[in-house]
Amino acid sequence: MGMLAWLESNPLAIWVHESPSVWAQPTVLTLHTMGMAVLVGASWVLDLRLLGISRNVPLSSFRWVFRAVTVGLIVNLATGVLLFAQRATTWGTSIPFLIKMCLVIAGAATLVPIRSHVFRSDAEQREVGGSTRLLAIASILAWSGAVTAGRLLAYLVP
Amino acid sequence: MPSITAVNVTHLHLLLNHVPTVGSVVALGLLLLALVRRDEPLKRVGLEVLFVIAVVTLPAYMTGVAAHQKLRDQAEISDNAMRVHQDAALAGFTVTEFAGFVAWIALWQSRRRGREARGLVPAVTLLTVVALVLMARAANLGGEIRHPEIRSDLSAAAASADDPERFLTTAIAGYMVNSRWAWPAAETVHFLGLCLSFGVLLTVNLRILGVMRQVAFADVHRLLPWGMLGFGANLITGMLFFIGQPSQYVDSAPFYWKVVFLMIAGANFLYLTVFRKAWAADGDVGFDSSLADKAMAVSSILAWLAVLYGGRMLPFIGHAF
Repeated sequence: MGMLAWLESNPLAIWVHESPSVWAQPTVLTLHTMGMAVLVGASWVLDLRLLGISRNVPLSSFRWVFRAVTVGLIVNLATGVLLFAQRATTWGTSIPFLIKMCLVIAGAATLVPIRSHVFRSDAEQREVGGSTRLLAIASILAWSGAVTAGRLLAYLVP
Repeated sequence: MPSITAVNVTHLHLLLNHVPTVGSVVALGLLLLALVRRDEPLKRVGLEVLFVIAVVTLPAYMTGVAAHQKLRDQAEISDNAMRVHQDAALAGFTVTEFAGFVAWIALWQSRRRGREARGLVPAVTLLTVVALVLMARAANLGGEIRHPEIRSDLSAAAASADDPERFLTTAIAGYMVNSRWAWPAAETVHFLGLCLSFGVLLTVNLRILGVMRQVAFADVHRLLPWGMLGFGANLITGMLFFIGQPSQYVDSAPFYWKVVFLMIAGANFLYLTVFRKAWAADGDVGFDSSLADKAMAVSSILAWLAVLYGGRMLPFIGHAF
């Protein structure tokens, strides 16, 4: 608990929370939303491909997705830490926030086996195996849940 | 620099309100002529015109709501007459958007298969007739707001009955504001739709910019309807917010900019759909886009980021919330 209080009293966290500047809370939140669009959007496009949408596109052509996802993850990790720090004592103990974190970790975790599948040498094949399809469904659900939980945080933990 | 909110929305509405009615007549004429002549290129033009009308009908409707917000307290203008007009306009707006959506599907299919999509064009034509009838009614009721000399007994009675509960827009607003879950649920769908449409747009534009060069455009374009699905969800939820709390938006600078960039993004999307090179049957693998195409792709990504920026900044700039 001391750690959360320390985070929240950090000068940077206080600036994000209290500064009237458009560069504080508004910009951090907007960057977090843009990172989400890139991260979740790119992941979903690849998931759709794994489920058979645009199946004429070779899987190896989707390698750029992992670069986009990395950019999105880095932006959202940085902005997410700032957004969390300003409300650390409230969010750190709230169930909706912890659910969101679990879903983000689950979404990111699905990327690892999906990545190794896409980077396999025989990934040119059009048909995707059942286990990879399940991974794609898990990825779509995890990111949907993370976005939903994140958006509802504003209403559930005011 | 004067703020974008200094624009006279009432005047803008008087200019834009002709687009849905006059535009539908033009689009209907083109489609009927194309059906009679069995003229494929003309058919596509008709569908493209319909898509553009659907895009421009958005600010036509929104400036109307904004004008209502600004004029409702003026004693010489009937608030009821404006509400009657607004309800009629919402019906016309909904069918016009739907017609534009189906027109887009028909365009996308005809490009993909290289021939017309059977059944879709007659369906679009029928939808356009319905949209035209509803919009003509809305236009008629709108004209009567400031022109008592053209009012019929019937419309005068409709405008004078003083029962705000009977208005659809009022009912939607009441539901959005009073329900505990309606607004949060719509926000959630709005964010999910944002991710889907942005992901698809990013993929298609990156292909134009040279990523995935070994992939045929037509194969990437299979994804476009999914982007449209995300956008459709956001149009519906966005309109629920706008009708729910119009006063939050009609004086908000980021909202005005958001709509401006939506128009640009809409033009970009039409370009992506009809983009000739994209639909070459073969030989487009490894194709390098022209500079104009690449500029279009970059402006598309930037326009969507600007739409996103305007939306996320709504509570912070302009203090409308």
